[in-house]
Amino acid sequence: MIGLPHYLTVSAALFTLGLLGVLTRRNAVNVLMGIELILNSANLNLVAFSRYGTGNLQGQLFAVFVVVIAAAEVAVALAIVLTLYRLRRTPNLDEADFLRG
Amino acid sequence: MQEVLRSLHRFWPEVVLTVGLLVVVLVDTIRVRGRDVATWLLTMATLAAAFVLSARLGAQSTGLFEGMLALDPMGIFFKLLLIGSSLLVVGAFRFDGSRELRGLGQGEFYALMLAVTFSNLLLAAANDLAMLYLALEMVSITSYVIVAYLKGDRLSNEASLKYILFGAVSTGAMLYGLSLLYGMTGSTSLPVIRQVLAAGLTDANRLTVYVVALLVFAGFGFKTASVPFHFWCPDVYQGAPTPVTAFLSVAPKAAGFAIMLRFFFSGMAVEGTGAWDLAGTIDWPHVLMLVSVLTMTVGNVAALTQTNMKRLLAYSSIAHAGYIMMGVVALSENGARGMMVYLLAYVFMNLGAFLVVTLVHNQDGTFDLRDYPGLSRRAPLLTVAMAIFLLSLMGIPPLVGFMGKLYVFAAIIEKGSSYWWFAVVGAVNAAIAAFYYARILKTMIIDSGNEEKPAFRLPLADSAWIVLLVLGNVVPLFLWSHIETLTRASLSLYAGR
Repeated sequence: MIGLPHYLTVSAALFTLGLLGVLTRRNAVNVLMGIELILNSANLNLVAFSRYGTGNLQGQLFAVFVVVIAAAEVAVALAIVLTLYRLRRTPNLDEADFLRG
Repeated sequence: MQEVLRSLHRFWPEVVLTVGLLVVVLVDTIRVRGRDVATWLLTMATLAAAFVLSARLGAQSTGLFEGMLALDPMGIFFKLLLIGSSLLVVGAFRFDGSRELRGLGQGEFYALMLAVTFSNLLLAAANDLAMLYLALEMVSITSYVIVAYLKGDRLSNEASLKYILFGAVSTGAMLYGLSLLYGMTGSTSLPVIRQVLAAGLTDANRLTVYVVALLVFAGFGFKTASVPFHFWCPDVYQGAPTPVTAFLSVAPKAAGFAIMLRFFFSGMAVEGTGAWDLAGTIDWPHVLMLVSVLTMTVGNVAALTQTNMKRLLAYSSIAHAGYIMMGVVALSENGARGMMVYLLAYVFMNLGAFLVVTLVHNQDGTFDLRDYPGLSRRAPLLTVAMAIFLLSLMGIPPLVGFMGKLYVFAAIIEKGSSYWWFAVVGAVNAAIAAFYYARILKTMIIDSGNEEKPAFRLPLADSAWIVLLVLGNVVPLFLWSHIETLTRASLSLYAGR
């Protein structure tokens, strides 16, 4: 029988994978994918808690808002990655190093 | 329905901001001469109207929209502070004459400013985890766009990219923490969470509360630019257009501190103001003390070697976040009051310093401190104003910056002798800060150079705003009894559902 612990394990794994992706990838788009994993792990938590734990719908409602926020965030992030790509012809983050010191 | 109508009645400032935002966007689409002036006037009028409406909201505490938002005296204080700082930025940092922004769409800029202001207000009043996260992301996403406002500029775009990646990860970690908190307490409402936590926790849950608090702090730390979530701050402040930098260093930071206070107090403290010992489960003061000490030290030490003025002020603003956090550490009424006074002072001194930097850039096209010699001969008014702003940032007695430091340090010292070392560290930091602020003054006044540069033309409007900000650093001292009563009256937080 699949229960709350299973969902929590999967979401913890997703969170870790997302964080690893953010920390290790050079390509900005891959980093954004890592961020999506982090947000979705939290979503999974919210929905699982709402279904198995708390018995109210606040968590599921919260998850819907998070989906919308994630879409908005990625839209802005991709637009910025695109303008940066137009300016310097690379999506790699370690070459975005004009600001330092 | 009844609840929505009742809430809308208390929601006028936000409603006005939204309507103003839409009107500005619409007016901006009409291609006529004088469109820029019209959008500027509309934005100023909207902000002024929201300011007046917030001031008239009345003192009683209540929840709005089924407890999603809280309306209380402290919230109203922060509403006024946030709208006021937007008003100063939109007014003082003008487009004409600006080397960075000239020729770019003015209406869009003001629409974005109104959007950030609106979401700042929501963030400072959030009383529910969903609202908290939504408002935090709203502030962040609009800030990302406004940082990248110089479309063809590599620095501006790079700054925005760093901001967005750092911000998304921090708020993502925060969201994960919030989801665990929801699972543990079964509610997203902060007051309900407090009741559940106060009813007692098992040992396993106690560990989870630690983890949750650390994850949630990632989001707050990011918004307030505290160590170890400050890495974006210097890069973003340097790359963003200067008016945006000035705005980001003041308003979202104040909103971040407001929600930090609200989260820890209405979500995790024992009921009733004055008894802020947090459920007895977490040693909060020490964790926050460490963060605060690291924040001010890292900010001040890194600022010592900077030569780019925007970057220098970025590190200085990190250090100031450390001082402001002393008020959170004290976890007392006086600590909260110290925070409010400090933030009020910080608005005037920091916006002033950034305005001087902008005006020098408008004239000479440089942000480099090494180009500042000779300014005292070319622009005496600007130099005197900068001296007042910097002395205020240092915390020299007759200025508001000193009052801010006085209140937070007093709040720490009265907590007892185990906190005294913390106050000493703060004082040593203030001394380090005095060094680099004084270095700017020395460069402007004593160093020679730039004699061949053309005379400094300071438009009348800019002089007027400079004088206004200088007055903002001096006049409050003569009205101190009013500020004393205002902050004392603003201490109560709404604690219901």
